Amino acid sequence: MNSVLNLSSSPHARDSWTTRSVMLRVLLALAPASVLGVINYGLYALLILLLGVASAVATELIFDKIAHKPNTWTDGSAAVTGLLLALSLSPSVPVYIPVFGSVFAILVVKCCFGGLGKNFINPALAGRCFLLISFGRVMSTFKVDAVASATPIAEMMNGGEVNITEMFLGSSNAVIGSSILALLVGGLALWAFDIIHGQICFSVIGGFVLMMALFGGQGFDLKYLLAHLCGGGVIMGAFFMATDYVTSPVSRLGQTIYGILIGVLGGLFRLYGGTADAFSYSIIIGNLFTPLIDTYFVQKPYAYRARAVRLRSGDRRSFWQRIPKPVYVLTAITLIAGVALSGVFSMTKHTIEEQKRLKNAQSYSVVCPDAEEFEPDDEADDIIENLAGSWWGEDYGKSVIKEAMIAKGDDGKIVGYVVRVSTSDAYDGSLTLVVGTDPNGKVLGISFTELHETPGMGMRCGEAEFMDQFAGKEVDSFVLNKSAMSSGAANEIDTVSGASTSSGAVVKAVNAGLDFVRNVMMGGRES
Amino acid sequence: MKVTFRGGVHPKGHKELSRDAALREFLPTGEMVFPLSQHIGKPAKPVVKKGDPVLVGQRIAEADGFVSAHIVSSCSGTVKAVEKRLTLTGAALDCIVIDNDGQFTPSGEFGEKRDVSGVTGDEIVNCVKDAGIVGLGGAGFPTHVKLRPKDPAAIRYLILNGAECEPYLSCNDQLMREKADAIIEGLELMLRLFPNAEGVVGIERNKPEAIEAMKKAAAGKEKIRILPLKTKYPQGGERSLIQAVAGMDFPITSLPADVGCLVENVGTVYAIERAVVFGEPLYSHVFTLSGEAVKNPGNYVVRDGTCFTELLEHAGGLKDGVTLKKALAGGPMMGIAMSSLDVPIQKQNNGLTLLASDPNEEAEARMTPCLHCGRCTTVCPMGLMPQMMADAVRDGNLERYEKKLYGLECIQCGSCTYICPAKRPLMQTFKQTKAEITAKKRAAAEGGKK
Repeated sequence: MNSVLNLSSSPHARDSWTTRSVMLRVLLALAPASVLGVINYGLYALLILLLGVASAVATELIFDKIAHKPNTWTDGSAAVTGLLLALSLSPSVPVYIPVFGSVFAILVVKCCFGGLGKNFINPALAGRCFLLISFGRVMSTFKVDAVASATPIAEMMNGGEVNITEMFLGSSNAVIGSSILALLVGGLALWAFDIIHGQICFSVIGGFVLMMALFGGQGFDLKYLLAHLCGGGVIMGAFFMATDYVTSPVSRLGQTIYGILIGVLGGLFRLYGGTADAFSYSIIIGNLFTPLIDTYFVQKPYAYRARAVRLRSGDRRSFWQRIPKPVYVLTAITLIAGVALSGVFSMTKHTIEEQKRLKNAQSYSVVCPDAEEFEPDDEADDIIENLAGSWWGEDYGKSVIKEAMIAKGDDGKIVGYVVRVSTSDAYDGSLTLVVGTDPNGKVLGISFTELHETPGMGMRCGEAEFMDQFAGKEVDSFVLNKSAMSSGAANEIDTVSGASTSSGAVVKAVNAGLDFVRNVMMGGRES
Repeated sequence: MKVTFRGGVHPKGHKELSRDAALREFLPTGEMVFPLSQHIGKPAKPVVKKGDPVLVGQRIAEADGFVSAHIVSSCSGTVKAVEKRLTLTGAALDCIVIDNDGQFTPSGEFGEKRDVSGVTGDEIVNCVKDAGIVGLGGAGFPTHVKLRPKDPAAIRYLILNGAECEPYLSCNDQLMREKADAIIEGLELMLRLFPNAEGVVGIERNKPEAIEAMKKAAAGKEKIRILPLKTKYPQGGERSLIQAVAGMDFPITSLPADVGCLVENVGTVYAIERAVVFGEPLYSHVFTLSGEAVKNPGNYVVRDGTCFTELLEHAGGLKDGVTLKKALAGGPMMGIAMSSLDVPIQKQNNGLTLLASDPNEEAEARMTPCLHCGRCTTVCPMGLMPQMMADAVRDGNLERYEKKLYGLECIQCGSCTYICPAKRPLMQTFKQTKAEITAKKRAAAEGGKK
């Protein structure tokens, strides 16, 4: 026997899993979301996904070449970053967006910090935040069939209603990888096959639900919580972003703390922050805490744990016993708080509605100052009820008639009409306004009951300079003038500069209100 | 719920290569080499010199001190030399070399079945000591020392290790199938030493025939229980077994006896039975020859001192057209890679695994940076955090390694290295670091004395 034998320390066996096989499984888990994204948003979405992946991989390849480093693009981690980034983009972004994002994610966040395993924040999220800051406008435009609209999450943040079934399948106006169903299938599969840590994803969700239940003002309203869980990248973040190995803690306790931190921050940003991207930021903040958590939360070997000797046998514990204690504690706290809050909510529900009515009544008085009282109109109420929240006519965008009242003077004579109209065409979701007219349909004034546009731009729709343009005009409909020149026509409304989307939404809503007054309120009485 | 420990890995077993091969005795004809140090503790002192005639079962070296063991000749012939010879670890050690006459003439002092009904505990321990029995599971700790814990009454579990979790090895499986009655008898003898102990035989579930045979042999014995265990590495580790059977964890600085447990390999117990009932010293033991590179894998009863090469040639050598890449004394998880097969089989060697490929070499080629995936933490049977330990070593922070991460608790089972998708040499790092820290401590202690 003359062969030379290899010498090395044991073990002389290795598991078949490699870095690449882990990454390939993550890619596989993202496949359902990608496929549904392409089905929902078309081939352009596929192009965006491919561009994201290709530019991420290419960036790593070129960097390795230039830096004379061993080629690492084949390990699949760059592809995962690229795909995650592309999936979190709107299907209507220009082609340069996924490219810029991927290049930033890989080159700056990953390669410059030492490559695989060394990045301090999730590269895909860093790329996304880079894009949000640099290309805010394109990033938050969601166009389906060339119609721009608000994402479900933006609608929710403005108190609007969302279609949860639609969010599950991903057909609503959101990012490419927005199908909750597909993300859950992939994410739960990763968890079941031990690729991601359950402690992280479930504590993210737990922390978030806790936050929303405690401070969302709706208590444990399942529909409300579900809607918030399904929107704004919570599921994508919990299962695919927060669980990124490199930027999450290692110990079980550390992972739980990290997860709860992200969930709570996400809830906080969602409730009190202005952005729909709460989760991108909360996960990045969680990432930044990881080294600290890793330093202090180290698990002790079994022999040094308090329960070491008491345990009869390790795995003879039941499934329920093996769930970490914090999970029980948190669940209990959440339940108690939730029940308490729902109690408070149902007790105060009446008062809240009363408040809302009062607020509406106040704005009615603003637009129709001569009125002593406002009476509901049966015919109008029937029509509004039959519409059940659908849009008022083709010409008025996504304007929905919410309420219509007859304004009466002290002698009981009709002095005008008020209509409350809500539209989801606004730049940042929805706005609600009240239009008041005299008995002949002449506009007396408008007033906003809900306006959340960009400060300094869309918000200026709420200023008198813009609003007063409507007052005192008797026209069929208003037209928005976007140019600096005014033709002087009575029905022309000059846009708030830099906020034509907001201004346009207002004009459409007012037109919808006028149309309702003319065809329902007035039509029902005088002809 | 299957009985097992926490963590662990599932390496491919490869047991099918040899599991059903019945035990065959192999009588060598070549020269026999007996290293004086085949056990933990002081090397034995030779009691023969060059030219002396020896018989099978004759003591050729005597235990030197309490923690040491006798060495017995496994062949008849003449002492050729007492000199340094290459052993399987690669170190040249003092060995007694015997010119084998091929007759295997017994020394005549053993072989008769004796009545053991009245044998006392002390007599059993003496028999074990005289027979030169050491732990056959791999470590080679002198058994007579183990059988004498400080407080025998405190031992609650006498655990027989029939797990054989190491891939490829199947000799203990065969031993349990063929010698179940003898093993149970050996266990009963040992239980005489420990009045409050229950005998538990832990066997992995991938050996149904052995479980069946042992259950049959133990039928009706009140103090003995056969416990099927989940098939998982390192189920056969002392600490894993104690965790599975008794539910105890204990620091590396404590002994199993401190938590009321005692673990013996089934092969050792068989040797104890032979020694007590037949007066037969330990000169042969079961042994698996396996691996992809072997033509005829099988299970053998081999004589101590036999050259690995001779056994391999007897079994038909290597598979045709296969180049031997790696030779392991033992199995792939904990076995020692050998530089040459021209070394003697020692008491505690339970197998020779010959591989046509080297997973270590392939792993090195595929190594990537650590992903912090945490798989090593999940599989560590001791509950350590290998990835953080490796980071601490990289940062030169031995303080954190030892105090915060309990790095010295590592039992070097290799599960972390096995599972690592980035193919990082985790356990190897810890082995080295542990040695470094121990050496530093020793130096500090010695410095303090001066």
